[in-house]
Amino acid sequence: MLQLVLFNVTNGLIIGSFYVLMALGVAMILNLSNVINFAHGNFLALGGYFAFIMIPYTGFWIALLVAPVLVAVLGYIIEQTMVRRVYNRDPVYSLLLTFGLSFIIQDVCRYFWGPNGLPLTVPDSLSQALSSDLFFITGYRVFMMVIVIVSVVGLFAFLRYTRLGVRIRAGTLDLDTVSALGINVRLLRSFNFAVGIYLAGLAGVLAGGQIGLNPNMGDDLLLPAFIAIIVGGVGSLTGTLLGGLLIGVASALTTVVYPSAQDVVIYVIMALVLLVRPRGLMGEEGMFT
Amino acid sequence: MSMLETRNTTKAFGSLIAVNDVTLSVAPGELRAIIGPNGAGKTTFFNLITGFFPPTSGQIILDGQDITNRTATQRVKLGMGRTFQITEIFPELTVHENVRIAVEAASGYSLHMWTSRHDATRVRAGIDEILALTNLTTKADRLVGELSHGDQRAAEIAMALALKPRVLLLDEPTAGMGEQETYQVAGLIRRLHKNSNYTIVLIEHDMRVVFNLADRITVLTEGTMLADGTPAEIAANPAVQAAYLGTAE
Amino acid sequence: MSAATATRLESERPKGRPRPPQWTTGAVIWVVLLSAPLWLGFVGGYTALASHVVVMALVAMALNFLLGFTGVMSFGHAAYFGLGAYGTGLTLRYLSDSTWFAVLNGVLLGGIAGTLLGILICRRRGVYFAMVTIAFGQIFYYIAYRWDSFTGGYDGLRGFSRQPLGVGPWTIDIQGNGTLFYYFVLAVFAVSVGLMAFLLNSPFGRTLIAIRENQRRAQFLGIAVDKHIWLSFSISCFFASTAGALYALLNNFADPTSMYYTLSGEIVIMVVMGGMRNFWGPLVGAAIYVVLQDYISSMTVNWMSFIGLMFVMVVMFFPSGILGMLRRRATT
Repeated sequence: MLQLVLFNVTNGLIIGSFYVLMALGVAMILNLSNVINFAHGNFLALGGYFAFIMIPYTGFWIALLVAPVLVAVLGYIIEQTMVRRVYNRDPVYSLLLTFGLSFIIQDVCRYFWGPNGLPLTVPDSLSQALSSDLFFITGYRVFMMVIVIVSVVGLFAFLRYTRLGVRIRAGTLDLDTVSALGINVRLLRSFNFAVGIYLAGLAGVLAGGQIGLNPNMGDDLLLPAFIAIIVGGVGSLTGTLLGGLLIGVASALTTVVYPSAQDVVIYVIMALVLLVRPRGLMGEEGMFT
Repeated sequence: MSMLETRNTTKAFGSLIAVNDVTLSVAPGELRAIIGPNGAGKTTFFNLITGFFPPTSGQIILDGQDITNRTATQRVKLGMGRTFQITEIFPELTVHENVRIAVEAASGYSLHMWTSRHDATRVRAGIDEILALTNLTTKADRLVGELSHGDQRAAEIAMALALKPRVLLLDEPTAGMGEQETYQVAGLIRRLHKNSNYTIVLIEHDMRVVFNLADRITVLTEGTMLADGTPAEIAANPAVQAAYLGTAE
Repeated sequence: MSAATATRLESERPKGRPRPPQWTTGAVIWVVLLSAPLWLGFVGGYTALASHVVVMALVAMALNFLLGFTGVMSFGHAAYFGLGAYGTGLTLRYLSDSTWFAVLNGVLLGGIAGTLLGILICRRRGVYFAMVTIAFGQIFYYIAYRWDSFTGGYDGLRGFSRQPLGVGPWTIDIQGNGTLFYYFVLAVFAVSVGLMAFLLNSPFGRTLIAIRENQRRAQFLGIAVDKHIWLSFSISCFFASTAGALYALLNNFADPTSMYYTLSGEIVIMVVMGGMRNFWGPLVGAAIYVVLQDYISSMTVNWMSFIGLMFVMVVMFFPSGILGMLRRRATT
């Protein structure tokens, strides 16, 4: 019994860390630019596919490093050419834009790589189970968690200690003042967007190694990302982090007691949060409330 | 008995004290002007009175009733009309429609999904009355967003009037206006004060408007009340002169 | 983001007088709709497509009640549409042979779900509101998907079909006769649309428009903004589920994809493409979208890219929609 719970909690943390990686990317773009990026899951897929192209030439490790950057560059370009134009309009337009981009990117992936699954080869050194007792923890899964932890820590450090990061944080609180201080808000937004997309791309490479690649691989992570943000509290990245882990573990534990509800349980949690503490675990009063 | 009163009202945002222990009392039918340099906390003070946020300490009393813990919407219902620094109107609707929505809201019809002929007549009468009062009858069918600044402000005041407010709070009504429009708006405010006996509190930077209209003036600097008195008293007050009037716009 | 920025962003909307139906547009539209079975064949269309258009027009107009007239963004309306479909399908399959009863159940299921959920979300604003509507929409998708013993799961609900309609002493064969079914759909559409127009012309409707124009001013007129948004949401969901009920009857089928959030996005684009501030805009948008999608998907396997491209083009170049552009040309 204990092993079952342990298994599920570990599983939950792993899936939760994916939710966190996705959710942080979505949250960064949401918090600064007020845009819900529907295409986030598709950028994730692109990350995986870019790695797929690179691995035969550069091997896994370089691909892991570079593919997300490439996706981020693409994201930057898209932001500059399209997303930027809808910032000052009714938010419905930015939603529709990312929606449309989602369709396009999905289809492009399907066109180039086909609708079926493709495997992403990871180094053998990672694929082995760590011990026969804890057979369910493969090296790769630990590796994924490590990368996620490193990225999250890196992200928080970036936001706390670098000038650019501090500006981004200030911008989420009051963009007018930031602009009045002479900071180039346009560039800030573009860069912020790129960082968010980088996280998606990274998640894509990691996920690809675990479950293989397909054009819709990011779809199942998009809604949980939203829920992580709502549960954790809009405007708070720490909240998003906690929210993602919470729903991951909750979802995994549900498979023990009530397997058919595992998809729905995260929505139930969200509903409860909205009822009891609408601003989320760590959200600020007055943000959209 | 005062119409509007604040007692030791304070608002602090963390360590920043925006409004510091302000006590004032406005009599019924009085026109009070609140003046002070930029950043003195005047708009924050208004926000406190109208219920944007609760005071850190102190009380707010409307016509004898303690409203410190009431929400903004409740205060509106109790008779507080407000206009804002940046005119808040319904820009893509006509003047008539703007006022109509206000009158219907005031009459409690906002949730009605149909109107009886009786109600409709009442509403129409209310609209006509307000349009006449604010001199907007000839412009009733124009989009508010396309009117001049002065007319937009008049429309905003018209909407506030629909509630038959006990007190009208006007935040910089002549902000950004030229001579002609300032004259127009000031004239409207005077008419409302002298002819219709409204109790009015206004924040203003334009000293000609202030000294021409006000019964009493309150001076705020850095969140604190510096002086409070008749226009003559304020003009003669050396502290006020030093802090504000000397470098006034 | 500060309130000042939000207010300024709000003012950057397409100009134009937003009003409930204008008579000439309405007249033209009704002539076209009523005569459709006559000329449809000549342009390569078919009756079921026309019914599909009217159904989608209804759900799009339902959304527009909320989006275009109250100024509130719901991106999860497919859920109520789907609930309407399932309510109707499940009734016909398990409970009764009466089309009226089935439609009623569909309408109630979606409408009541929307009303209840609305209580939870009506205080939120802006993109946060949109996110929550999407998320809630997905709950129903997963329920339909997982509860496959009852709903048929991923494959959808089958085993039911629309029954001949009993109206007083007559029986209308909407089951066998596609044209008769089309007129049935049109009749329900007409009643719904008439009701919407009526509501929009009432003090309640005007208050919704006020909320769209300037929420802060509405609040400072003593208007109970949250309550109005909740009512608008609720009404909108009832109409959406009505459309869903008709959809189930149209296809004799209901499946989870009718609840997936991508359909919600498609409904939004229909509204925007036709003209968000116009009463009839969503109908125009729905007609174009449904026909185009039908056409493109039969031509190429990459229809998704084209649809996506359409979304992007509308947003970048035609934000006020077709009727919005026509109106602007008429006034300048």
